[in-house]
Amino acid sequence: MIRVLLFGAAADRAGTREIELPLDDGVTLSEVWPLLTEKHPDLAPMRDTLAFAVNGEYARVEDGVSPGDEIAVLPPVSGG
Amino acid sequence: MFAIVEEPLDVGALIRDAQMPGCGAIATFVGTTRIDEAEGAAVQYLEYEAYRPMADRKLEEIGAEIEGRWNVGHVSIVHRLGRVDPGEASVAIVVAAPRRGPAFEASRYAIERIKEVVPIWKREVWSDGYVWVGSQLGSRETATW
Repeated sequence: MIRVLLFGAAADRAGTREIELPLDDGVTLSEVWPLLTEKHPDLAPMRDTLAFAVNGEYARVEDGVSPGDEIAVLPPVSGG
Repeated sequence: MFAIVEEPLDVGALIRDAQMPGCGAIATFVGTTRIDEAEGAAVQYLEYEAYRPMADRKLEEIGAEIEGRWNVGHVSIVHRLGRVDPGEASVAIVVAAPRRGPAFEASRYAIERIKEVVPIWKREVWSDGYVWVGSQLGSRETATW
């Protein structure tokens, strides 16, 4: 399993802040996205605006994820 | 000091902490809640959330970037979460340096980097709905929900 954390408008659209997804070994971040939108289709239109983090650091979509990882879905940041 | 807090910011205390004999300048940037108005509606307050501890770590990284680029004696960045009412501070940056140039430049750099890389989000709560700033999504009719 992986834990997916959602923030800001993404949490709002999904209606939840945390999702658990079953995951095989040898999967990239880009392959997680369809699993996420299957459960929460309202997230799909946000795709191009989002960044992702794996275990607390920005990650590229081609980066691998492993069971036990924490993935964060990050809308455009707006601190300050 | 680099911190994310849920209570009002004490800017005076942050400035006092930055005073030191080797520094002749303290530059302070304070971001505050502004009431925007549009189509007969107005912002009532802002609400901030963060991905922690990544956000805490990113603030520290910005501090390290500043110390690598400018000659500074002290850097504090404190960001508030939760509801921040009009006029109240959401972020305070205090940079002490031997001379004013680096103090001004580094404090400007800090706020621009916060807006680029620190996983913090704000929601504008208007009298007629809300908008996630950056995503431009929300419950206001004018947002592209």
